[in-house]
Amino acid sequence: MTDPKHIRNFSIIAHIDHGKSTLSDRVLEMTGTVASRDMKEQLLDSMDIERERGITIKSQAVRVDYTADDGQTYQFNLIDTPGHVDFTYEVSRSLAACEGAVLVVDATQGVEAQTVANAMLAMNADLEIVPLINKIDLPAADPERVRAEIEDGLALPADDAVLASGKTGEGVHDLLEAVVYGIPAPKGDADAPLRALIFDSYFDAYRGVVAFIRVIDGSVKKGDRIRMMATGAETGVEEVGARRPAEVALPELSVGEVGYLVTGLKEVSQVKTGDTITLAEGGVADPLPGYREVKPMVYTGLFPIDGDQYEPLKEALEKLSLNDPALIWEPEKSHALGFGFRVGFLGLLHMEVIKERLEREFGLDLLATAPSVEYHVHKQGGEMVSLHSPQEMPDAGEIERIEEPYLKAKILIPPDYVGAVMELTTARRGTFVTMNYLSQTTVEMLWEIPLSELIMDYFDKLKSNTKGYASLDYEFDGYKESKLVKLDILLSGKPVDALSFIVHKDKAYDRGRVLADKLKEIIPRQMFEVPIQAAIGGRVLARETVKAKRKDVLAKCYGGDISRKRKLLEKQKAGKKRMKAIGNVEVPQEAFMAILKVDE
Amino acid sequence: MPHDPYKALYLHLPFCVRRCGYCDFATEAVPADDARIDAYVEDLALQVRRKAKEGELAAVETVYIGGGTPSHVGMPRLSMLLYTLSLSMRLEPDVECAMEANPESLTGNMVRDIWALGVNRLSIGVQSLDDAVLRTLGRAHSADDARRAVAAARERFDNVSVDLMCGIPGQSAESFEATVREAVALGASHVSVYPLTIEPHTPFHRAVMRGQMPEPDDDVEAAHMEIAARVLAEAGFSRYEVASYALPGQECRHNIAYWTGAPYLGLGRSAATMTQNDKRRMRVQDGRVTDDLDARQMAAEDLMLGMRMTRGVSEAQVERAAALLPEAPAALARLEAQGLVAHEGGRFRPTERGWLCGNELYGALFDLAP
Repeated sequence: MTDPKHIRNFSIIAHIDHGKSTLSDRVLEMTGTVASRDMKEQLLDSMDIERERGITIKSQAVRVDYTADDGQTYQFNLIDTPGHVDFTYEVSRSLAACEGAVLVVDATQGVEAQTVANAMLAMNADLEIVPLINKIDLPAADPERVRAEIEDGLALPADDAVLASGKTGEGVHDLLEAVVYGIPAPKGDADAPLRALIFDSYFDAYRGVVAFIRVIDGSVKKGDRIRMMATGAETGVEEVGARRPAEVALPELSVGEVGYLVTGLKEVSQVKTGDTITLAEGGVADPLPGYREVKPMVYTGLFPIDGDQYEPLKEALEKLSLNDPALIWEPEKSHALGFGFRVGFLGLLHMEVIKERLEREFGLDLLATAPSVEYHVHKQGGEMVSLHSPQEMPDAGEIERIEEPYLKAKILIPPDYVGAVMELTTARRGTFVTMNYLSQTTVEMLWEIPLSELIMDYFDKLKSNTKGYASLDYEFDGYKESKLVKLDILLSGKPVDALSFIVHKDKAYDRGRVLADKLKEIIPRQMFEVPIQAAIGGRVLARETVKAKRKDVLAKCYGGDISRKRKLLEKQKAGKKRMKAIGNVEVPQEAFMAILKVDE
Repeated sequence: MPHDPYKALYLHLPFCVRRCGYCDFATEAVPADDARIDAYVEDLALQVRRKAKEGELAAVETVYIGGGTPSHVGMPRLSMLLYTLSLSMRLEPDVECAMEANPESLTGNMVRDIWALGVNRLSIGVQSLDDAVLRTLGRAHSADDARRAVAAARERFDNVSVDLMCGIPGQSAESFEATVREAVALGASHVSVYPLTIEPHTPFHRAVMRGQMPEPDDDVEAAHMEIAARVLAEAGFSRYEVASYALPGQECRHNIAYWTGAPYLGLGRSAATMTQNDKRRMRVQDGRVTDDLDARQMAAEDLMLGMRMTRGVSEAQVERAAALLPEAPAALARLEAQGLVAHEGGRFRPTERGWLCGNELYGALFDLAP
């Protein structure tokens, strides 16, 4: 076993785009773990979508050996955490596997909302923080200002902050030394029974579920009989090892070490992030703290555009669920869209990523309905129903009250934009809580805002109203009573269930009117007039009309034109395939998302 | 492959004095005295001779010399081409021999000479008789040039066709109606009316993209098409195809061949040839196969093309098609319910609405065997 004195477990945390992944890559390269010729940009983000979007969705742990200036060789376990507010819980579990964190701050951007949020998470997890100011090679870099922001805004001493550039590699050696001296070695009892924290897992078609673990006490080796304490699943360990970054099997994972463990289990839901592994016999009684069940925040209907793709969609969801316990789904039937699924996600990014993966990796053409949150409807007589879809809304007469989820939102902005944020967030039913000056250039505003308002392009609006300066972070705050109603959209006089949504009573008129207007632009002219109505119950709030089409392309059709005409008709057919026929109205996909883009 | 005899022959002359702003046809601006035109026309004449020797012209019933601007190449080259043609195939008066001309290059002498060499139908690219509209289009002629050209053509030809465009930015309904009326008054016996389409890679497309030109308005174009239908009907013209109006007996037989599934041979740059037998239909352009259809696709295409014409398709043709495309009768019934097709007198024919919303109508038939 490696002496824990020579182990350093740490994470690199940052606001999105502050260069975390590039810096991680540089560490792998400089410690000789990956030859630079084998470097793929942002090696740790393994999914295409992660690479394209520059975000991290799954956690990764890579082991590198570093021979420090003191001549000793250290085992570094670098744990790369998800980089988005949707995955806050996963981040907290990854951090619990570490003793320290390198906090990366962009030398041009300074401290931003997620810098603060991640630093807070790391401090809550009792991690030692090594500040690093990145991108110092950029002309606009201002390390002194950023140093001050770190000290003022985060109350972290930044005198010794490492100055580095992930791009050029400058300062990476300083970082590695800072990890050795700034981050404590793991503590733990080598002789105690096994206690290991699961901080991520994935499904491998050949080996079953593979868990990433941090051994807190004791050790684990191939053949050990283990138990997951929260799920109760038991299994024999098939293999343990570390990623360098290719997997290397090891005789054991001993106290303080981080690595992977092949469980052979068939379902990710048996191996949950945050759970504790102990020995099936002679194990501990108390699990590690901090485990919780993951709950989706937003729900959307996913429908195949072509009804034949229902089964393939189901199979694809099953496959993705193998690797994503946060993905929750159940069959849903819509009069307008036919058979599909109501799918719960951790947040909008999670939703977009899953939809994109379903379309790209499984070749599906999907239509997503506007995301909704989980409402709590208290019926007359005391029964409470959890509503994941506007379609499930009981009749108004049966409802006593409705509650909706609220968030605590933290917004960081330069002082000039306080007014703009105030105006926007109040319009979105936000309640102002407090405001602190973190520094002369950064104000922190705290709000309580309904989740349903946040998922309507709030973040885009916030960005545009603050010239891109604002950053946002939020956490779940609980349920509160609201005056909510279901707004229906009718096409050609018939309600389209997939277009209905739940809205605050005071906003129903405006939203209905604007949405009807928006739909008028989105729905192409058809062979007949299409009236669009927004209504609550039987009361029509707004009406627009898509006029009947009078003429379409009427080009010459001689000789060679006939081939062109055929191509054109083929294209037209493909175009129609991307639309959904509701009754006899062809509705483009974006119509179902129009409510999210409603400008006030 | 063994194929049915060609019924129609198309000769393409891809030269113009200049390109119009909306044009995406296979043509280029080349001075009339350029040697490239000589080489091209000589080569075309050789191809006509070769096809004649191979027996491919024996059953040809219509000839169409189009462009570009055939009149732009001038009389000496046209003489050579027409003379070659008359020695290569039967070119008697019952064979339709049509030629396109533009007002800037059609002269009285040319009218008399081509008539003498066997051309019996002249189609003139007038587009509009409003100088402001012609300037917008970037045409190389004035309204007066067009008037003179039609008058000159009328000296020899009974069958003079005038091409008109509508829905052009800045063209009022009044301007368009006046043009249609004057075309009739000038003695046109055939009128083709096309709404302006913005094609990619044209100056108009770029202007629309840059916001310098409004996009043609579908409602305005539909209104213009209806003006043409009304004015020409009053003048005794019948609309035998969506965009073609003719006095009795003056329909363009060559174009009808395209819409009735008759095989055609195209010679010259980018000219399309359609070759078929009862199992397969191919279109070839510049040596490239652009369509390769099986019997089902052929049947669907014939229904679709038939719907460009007033007479539509007969019940018997639908029955024959239904043997290959069992969905065809149901599709026609749906189109009838939508008001795009009328079923009467033993035929299925397009309604006015079916014509204007042709993509909807053709699309439904195309979908029978895409």
